[in-house]
Amino acid sequence: MTDVQKTETEILVFKTNISDSGDLGRISSVLRLESRIRKWNLDSSDVDNVLRIESRHLDPHEVIEMIRQSGFMCEELPD
Amino acid sequence: MRPRDESKEKAIREKAIEMIVKEGFDGLSMQKLAKAANVSPATIYLYFKNREDLLNQLYIGIEAAFTEATLKDFDPEMSFEDGLWLQWKNRFAHNIRYPYHIYFMEQFRTSPLINHKDIKENRFKAAMGLFVKNAIKRNELIELPVEIFWSIAYGPLYTLIKFHSGKKSLMGNKFVLTEQKMKQAFDVVVRALRK
Repeated sequence: MTDVQKTETEILVFKTNISDSGDLGRISSVLRLESRIRKWNLDSSDVDNVLRIESRHLDPHEVIEMIRQSGFMCEELPD
Repeated sequence: MRPRDESKEKAIREKAIEMIVKEGFDGLSMQKLAKAANVSPATIYLYFKNREDLLNQLYIGIEAAFTEATLKDFDPEMSFEDGLWLQWKNRFAHNIRYPYHIYFMEQFRTSPLINHKDIKENRFKAAMGLFVKNAIKRNELIELPVEIFWSIAYGPLYTLIKFHSGKKSLMGNKFVLTEQKMKQAFDVVVRALRK
């Protein structure tokens, strides 16, 4: 593997129940602390309240753990 | 997650454009699109951040394809008649290839979505502006407000394209826009615009 491939951004997609701006504030303070997350956004217009994360070397299970510890439901959306 | 796949992204885009033209912007959700395009919602999020991003990217993509197609072999220094004829031919060919695109562009431009910060002007407008300016400078074209110029120079073409892509035309018959018929209309247009 070359260095370029190693640092390529991965996109992780989750189904959640994060919905209002208060919820958003809570998870944003958690996600901010994770340096492997480059960008993230929540699509609250979608029925699955999709959390989309652009990251490097981050395992989906770590995200699920972070979100669940903040008190929300979170599961990976299958491809 | 699987890596990006350009042909899959293109298929998702074309499906989304078709859905919007048929059902309007409100008819599109990531879930409905996923079903129609036969992919999982997660796959769509691989390419687009959210619904808003999807709509913007669709418009940007359509405009880029339109620009590339219409500026093919075109040069703003061309004579007015040659340049406009090439525009007609290029635009018609592009519309036959992507029949939903003009309807999507129209819908998008008449909606508040067009004011989004991600939507920027491209080289197409600059090339067309220069083309008209050159023609006026060479005394090949009368000077008109831009809306009036556009309605006369391109309006007839798009009306004919709509007749062509509709199932029935004015008299209830199927109208087929051939190059010969296009030239017939074009000659009238050029006569009207010539100085």
